[in-house]
Amino acid sequence: MSKLISVKRAHGPSIEGQVLVMREGFSPRYDLDRITGIISRIGHSVEGESVCNKILVIPTVKGGVAGGWAFFDLLYKNISPKALIFGKLNPVMVQGAVLAGLTITEGWSEDLLSILKNGDRVRIEPEKKRLEIFSN
Amino acid sequence: MILNDLEIAMLRGDHGVVVKESIEFQIEVGSFFGAKEFVPITNAHVMGDIEVMGDGGLGILEKMSNSEVKCRVPTSSNARCMHFGDFDNLRADEVEVQKERKIIGYLKDMNIVPTDTCINYQTVYQPKLGEHVAWGDTGTVIYANSVLGARTNYEGGKASFAAAITGRTPAYGFHLDGCRKGTFLVNVDAELNDFADWGALGKIVGHPHQDYFAVPVFQGIKEIPFSDSLKHLGASLASYGSLAMFHMVGITPEARTLAEAFKGEVPNEVMTVKNSDIDAIYSGYKYKEGANNVVVFSGPQLSLFEVQNLANLFKRRKVHKCMTAVITTNHAIYSDALRLGYIADLESAGVKILQGVCFYILQRLSEIRKENDWTNLISNSGKIVNTITAHRFNTVLRRTADCVDIACTGVLK
Repeated sequence: MSKLISVKRAHGPSIEGQVLVMREGFSPRYDLDRITGIISRIGHSVEGESVCNKILVIPTVKGGVAGGWAFFDLLYKNISPKALIFGKLNPVMVQGAVLAGLTITEGWSEDLLSILKNGDRVRIEPEKKRLEIFSN
Repeated sequence: MILNDLEIAMLRGDHGVVVKESIEFQIEVGSFFGAKEFVPITNAHVMGDIEVMGDGGLGILEKMSNSEVKCRVPTSSNARCMHFGDFDNLRADEVEVQKERKIIGYLKDMNIVPTDTCINYQTVYQPKLGEHVAWGDTGTVIYANSVLGARTNYEGGKASFAAAITGRTPAYGFHLDGCRKGTFLVNVDAELNDFADWGALGKIVGHPHQDYFAVPVFQGIKEIPFSDSLKHLGASLASYGSLAMFHMVGITPEARTLAEAFKGEVPNEVMTVKNSDIDAIYSGYKYKEGANNVVVFSGPQLSLFEVQNLANLFKRRKVHKCMTAVITTNHAIYSDALRLGYIADLESAGVKILQGVCFYILQRLSEIRKENDWTNLISNSGKIVNTITAHRFNTVLRRTADCVDIACTGVLK
C-alpha cells in the first residue's frame, strides 16, 4: 500500500529515498554544519541528524541566499541531501537545487508533517507533480 | 518562456558557453515559478565567498573567469567571509585565504566591482521606483523592493552571476505587480527608539510568517524612520520570515495610502505590535554561564552614521578583558571613518573593526568561537542573533547603548 500526495510545483528527476522531517523553517546557513552535514542549530527539531542522502521534508524557509551555493557545496563534499520537499519555499532554494541537480518540490495537498516520520520512504515524481509515500 | 532574438542567440551559444549555460540555468529556475519572459536589469549584486560556495563553487567561477565573459550590467559584490588583516583571534585558514583572493580576482576579471558590501543600497547604487535589478543578498533585496520601490527577487549563488552575465532575469515574483501588494496588516503601537527595536519588530512579524510571498503592511509608524532603522527592520524580516518586501503607509513609495499598499484588496490578517511585545522579545533571550563573551555590531554592515554613533559611545572607554567587541563595515565606510577619526576612537577602546565582511559568514566561525571560549554573543542586530546559530552561539539581542555597556563592563544585563 502506498499513498499519493500532489505537489504544486516540482523540478528535477524522479527519485526515491528516506525522509528527514523538519518541524520548522530551514536555512542551510542558520541550521546546518556544512562541514559535516549535521543539523547543528541548538533546539532544531532534527538537531544532530545528518542530511546526507536524505529527502528533506521542510515546511518553510528562513533567510537567506546561502542556499544558492550551499547545496552545490554539499554535493561537492559528498554530504548532500537527495531531494527537497518544501511546504513553502523561496527562489534561492530553487536556484540552489537547480545548480546542484537536486529534485525539489513546493506545496503539498495534505500536511506531510502529520503523515511522515523520519525514515519513511518516499518517491518523488516531478513530471506528475506527485509524491508516493510507502507504508512501512 | 518566450524569448526575444538576443535571448535566443544567447541560448544558441552565439555569446559563448558561459552565457549559454547562464541563460539555460535562468530558464530552469524561471520555469519553476511559471515565468513567461525575461526582464532586463540595470544592476546586479553577486553573492559568493569561499565559506558558502566551497571548492565546487570556486570551480564554477574559475570557469566563468577563464571564458573571459563580462557582466552586461554594472555589478557589485556582497560581503566577504574574511578580513584581510590582523586579529589573530578571528583568523581564517591560510588555504582558504588564498582561495578567497582568487575569487576576488575572478570577480574583477568579469568586470564586477568587489565592493564586498551588504549595504550597497546605502553606499553603492540606489535603483529607482520600478527599476528591475538582480540582487543576491536578502537584506539588499527587501530594502530595494520596499524602501526604494525597485524590483528584485532573492538571487542566490549562481543566479546572481547568471543575471549579471545575461543582463536579465526571469520575470516572476517581485518583478510583477501582482506579488507586490500587501497581504497582511501590522498596526504598530510601540516606541521604536533603537535599531534593536526595529529588529525585534522584524522578528515579531517575520517569525510567524515564513512565506516569501507574504508582504506585511506597517501602519502607525509615528515618525519617518532613518535608513538604518529600515535596514535593520528589513534584514530581520528577511531573516526570520524569508520575506522580500514590506510596505509602510505614508513612508514607502508604493504605500502612499493603506488602500494603495493593499491594491484595493483586504488584508488576510491583522496584527498589532505593542511595547509589551517588544519588551517580551528582549526578556526572551537568556544568558548562559560563560567567562568570555562577544559583542557584535554587524549584520548588516554598519553605515557611517552607525559607526559615528558607536565611536561616540565607546569614546574614552575600554572593552572589558572578558569581552570582545567587533564591528563590521565595508571598505568605503571604513575609509571615511578613518579620515574622520571614528576608527581611532573605536580602536582606542579596543574595538576590532573588520572590513568588507559580515560577522556571521566568517570562515571557520565555529572554531573561532571555540578558540576564544565565547559563550554568549550579544548584538543590537535582530538579524545576526538569528543567522549565527548554526555555530552554536547563545545569542542575546540588546539595544545599542546596552551592548556598548556590556562590552565595557562585562556585566551581562
